Amino acid sequence: MKIDSGDTAWVLASAALVMLMTPALGFFYGGLVRRKNVLSTIMHSFFILCLISVQWVLWGYSLAFGPDKFHLIGGLEWVGLNNVGLTPNPDYAATIPHQAYMVFQMMFAVITPALISGAFAERQRFKAFVLFSLLWATFVYDPIAHWVWGAGGWLHQLGALDFAGGTVVHISSGVSALVAALVLGRRLGFGKEKSEPHDATMTVLGASLLWFGWFGFNAGSAVTAGTLATSAFVVTNTATAMAALTWMTVSWYHKRQPSVLGAAAGAVAGLVAITPASGYVNVMGAIVIGFGAGVVCYLAIQLRERIHVDDALDVWAVHGVGGTWGALATGLFATVAINSSAANGLFYGNPKQVLIQLAAIGAAWGWAAVGTFVILKVVNLFVPLRVQEEEELLGLDISQHGEPAYAL
Amino acid sequence: MDATTVIAVISCAIVLAAWLVLPSKATSVKPVVVSEERKPVSISA
Repeated sequence: MKIDSGDTAWVLASAALVMLMTPALGFFYGGLVRRKNVLSTIMHSFFILCLISVQWVLWGYSLAFGPDKFHLIGGLEWVGLNNVGLTPNPDYAATIPHQAYMVFQMMFAVITPALISGAFAERQRFKAFVLFSLLWATFVYDPIAHWVWGAGGWLHQLGALDFAGGTVVHISSGVSALVAALVLGRRLGFGKEKSEPHDATMTVLGASLLWFGWFGFNAGSAVTAGTLATSAFVVTNTATAMAALTWMTVSWYHKRQPSVLGAAAGAVAGLVAITPASGYVNVMGAIVIGFGAGVVCYLAIQLRERIHVDDALDVWAVHGVGGTWGALATGLFATVAINSSAANGLFYGNPKQVLIQLAAIGAAWGWAAVGTFVILKVVNLFVPLRVQEEEELLGLDISQHGEPAYAL
Repeated sequence: MDATTVIAVISCAIVLAAWLVLPSKATSVKPVVVSEERKPVSISA
């Protein structure tokens, strides 16, 4: 097999782009919390970048992409990157070194548990967070990644379409965030005192960097530098812009003013929703997906507020609901005119694809919810999930890390 | 024009039409009063 230098360069550059998304997420989340918790929030993302980078090369990649076992999980043959060398693996990417594909996928594995951290911001004990993240990556992320993307995975064989991680990344993290918020309980003073974002500019900067990095996430998932990557790039930008415009409009109607943070959150919702569809839909489909994301994710936040769930940074509403909408919309708007190796959706004459997408959505919701609940309960046996009341009042920057964010 | 395009055009029309009717009002925000000037900070090497 011949290595294509253009494809290799694009996938490695995309891996770097996706790597940037995790610190960017730290800034996106960091701006939304109170100033006494900003460092701890950024630390969640930065620490996971380090933790999962090591987990992935030791056993994560093998469990997710290794030789199939019962269509459910990868084997341990690739532990420590054994048999993962510099020659291409045609099951995943025929024109780039296998390690290039591995490191690209590593960055997806890194950002997914980091997304969940927004749900338990401002109250989770750091040691519990470390244990949870490691176990979650191993027992929730790696199996779902194998089902959807692994050679022999059951959802892959069923024909589920998930180009860049709507089910694998966003539904899994969003649903887990909801479960984590319910298990940990509400922050002190939730619903009684206002918890205003301490730095909206930081959040907008984080959202902008996420948008930038997402081109690697989606267009890089073509694993070739050609027409499919170009199409994915264009629809990613289109859906994101449309979702930001829509969210801002809905919130403008609801709150009577156009919100800057709303535009940033809307952009992220659009990025999430187009992720599973980015290699299968045309630009008109992207506009509809972006529009839908702006509406349904905004409504999901209203629902979350009404039922008083303290998913602190709305991970479920944006990633869980946005990912679900994107996965479903893939079954509606996918067309082989964009990707001849995929399938048509409902609007192009294949209603069966909607059922397949619903099966993938249900499987991801179920496994993520049950797995997260069990992991949190197990971790709580060894380390209390929450900080003590006085530590929460003091702030996690000081109580968990001994460092203030600002010396102003 | 296929169904996807029709829905996309309607989506854009809804957003654009909404901008025409949405309010453009200023919220009364209390101005922040700076009670004293910032003192110069001495920086020692």
